Amino acid sequence: MKPVQLFCWHFMAYPYLAKDFDAKESSGWVTVPNSLWDNAKARGLYQEYIDQLVYADELGFDGMVLNEHHQNIYGLMPSPNLIAAALTQNTSRGKIVILGNLLPLHLNPMRVAEEYAMLDQMSHGRLVAGFAPGGGPETFNYDVPSANTREKFWEAADLIVRSWTEDGPFAHEGRYFPLRYVNLWPRPLQKPFPPVWIPGSRSPSTMTEVARRGYCYFLSSRSHGGETHRAQQEFAAVLEKHGDKYHPFRFGILMSTYVAETDRQAREECEEGVWYFLKNCLKGHLRREGRQLTYGPGVPYIPAAAWREYMKSYTPGRKLLGDVENWEELDASQSIIVGSAETVTRRIQSLIEKAKVGNLLIQFQLGNMPDHLARKSMKLFAEKVAPALRQASLKQFTEEYPGINFEQAAEAVH
Amino acid sequence: MSGRIIEVNQRKVQVLETGQGAPLLYLHGFADVHSVKENFLPFHEKLAQQARVIAPAHPGCAQTDENKDVDAIEDVVFHYLEVLDALELKEFDLVGACVGGWIAAELAVRHPEKIRKLVLIGAAGLFVPGALIGDVFMHAQPEYGSSYATLREMLFSSANHPRALELFPDGKGDLEDEVRRYQMLRLGSRIGFKPPYFYNPSLRNRLHRITSPALVIWGEKDNFVPRSHGETYAKLIAHCSGLKIIPGAGHSAQVEKPEETAKSVIEFLAK
Repeated sequence: MKPVQLFCWHFMAYPYLAKDFDAKESSGWVTVPNSLWDNAKARGLYQEYIDQLVYADELGFDGMVLNEHHQNIYGLMPSPNLIAAALTQNTSRGKIVILGNLLPLHLNPMRVAEEYAMLDQMSHGRLVAGFAPGGGPETFNYDVPSANTREKFWEAADLIVRSWTEDGPFAHEGRYFPLRYVNLWPRPLQKPFPPVWIPGSRSPSTMTEVARRGYCYFLSSRSHGGETHRAQQEFAAVLEKHGDKYHPFRFGILMSTYVAETDRQAREECEEGVWYFLKNCLKGHLRREGRQLTYGPGVPYIPAAAWREYMKSYTPGRKLLGDVENWEELDASQSIIVGSAETVTRRIQSLIEKAKVGNLLIQFQLGNMPDHLARKSMKLFAEKVAPALRQASLKQFTEEYPGINFEQAAEAVH
Repeated sequence: MSGRIIEVNQRKVQVLETGQGAPLLYLHGFADVHSVKENFLPFHEKLAQQARVIAPAHPGCAQTDENKDVDAIEDVVFHYLEVLDALELKEFDLVGACVGGWIAAELAVRHPEKIRKLVLIGAAGLFVPGALIGDVFMHAQPEYGSSYATLREMLFSSANHPRALELFPDGKGDLEDEVRRYQMLRLGSRIGFKPPYFYNPSLRNRLHRITSPALVIWGEKDNFVPRSHGETYAKLIAHCSGLKIIPGAGHSAQVEKPEETAKSVIEFLAK
């Protein structure tokens, strides 16, 4: 039996933008001028962020989560594997989740296979290997043509897993990455291979590909209204169709939280960081203000038939997460859950109850939130929120999924 | 659906036809028939008064099947060799605009004998140092979730040109137009997203192989394919009558100034 798994996700935002950034700049992504980078201020920033993740490990989180972004202020991790390498040497307990390496951006998937294998060895088998195709901004970052991205992504993902499991050398005769000699040194430590997580945004084709391979599906949405629950149901149905059965550890979601002594204090302490995150970090990504690059006709990676379906219900100029105008709207989006330990526990618990989700990937540090506040929130969460969530979820999962040995099931998720 | 479907190498290709006379193959660009509109635009109807205008939709555009093996301009050229065979076009006039102009130039350097006369309008395809072709993909992402003003500015002389607003309206346009625009961008991303960006570095040194008389037409204010590309085409194609500038037009001269542009084409073809 296993309770909900609580992970600490760090995005590593650039926190030193001037107050007039939003007024002056049209985007925080791809075209955001790198003349804004301030070496004097940024010195030691990576250390601060890495230390927060190490602290998460000390506080008893089940793992630490990293991901890959380029040319933006939202996440300063063009190579999450470098941060992961640092974590292998500074932590000893939690999983190291990389969600994920953006496979179509790499010239050769073998590089990812090799680095992940190294990280699995260096961490004594704590790696969770995430593969992601990248979205709109990444298309522009590295000039990745959109039309065949998904196909290219799955060829790379399958080749990596094959290189981990099959004895080499062998030849890979692929459409996108033909290779004469695939022969991985080192091999990963975990057998048959590290758990694989794949993010998706509710597209049936991604769910199907994930289900076919028995991997874990991670919903990349930042808002948690009814959609999260629906995504879980959709994924469960896809699993059934493939003769498989849903359980909470096949599914993960991303959320943000801030915990303080009281609801009022929580809001007061985190508000600056939250607005910095929403208005600056999400500009160009999840804001209609400026130019949103994440999804749209300029990054045509879904087939035309799927685009037609999308357009039928599309409302031009609709509000995205970063367009919320006040605290009440933000609260309703269930994206950033702010409050006392009691409030946060109640709200996250109801989310788990409804969405039957076993992997919570939680962002604590938001925007320009100072180190001491991020740490205080993490500590309160670990001490006052996590125990209640674990207890309740264990009971819920045991009742709802009788007969599933979670330990085994979790181990079998690859 | 307009026009007819022919089958080429087990794939469907939509072909529109209008007019009578000598065959004229028209290859479309971004703001055009097949890439936005289902039917011919006034420019094509003008040409049809003098010629039999044949306009296939590119792979993946309109009702033409998508081909996921299209990775580069070369693949599109070979697709068109098959289309020419299927249409039994042995010798014809070739007019291409924008991306269609690029495909036309690539066909012409490979099979100059098939082409009676060649017209390029705002054609992509060349690398000209210091004059990058615009990023149509970035500008296809709306501002404020609904404005395509910068895309219109790229493809036309001004964001507020009535034809620009008709073909690329803000917000949500006609669903089928939206899908066609998307399909064209998807094809564009296959052949023109990854550098080389809507160009083929080898094309320049092949242009001397074109033996047919040629005319290069450019909008006065092209914000997508800079005018220096037109000058380069005009200079390097051996029998080129020169670069004809359409005053007041942007990249899509055939859409913005259909009368003048068609007149230039017709006069050149009749010479």
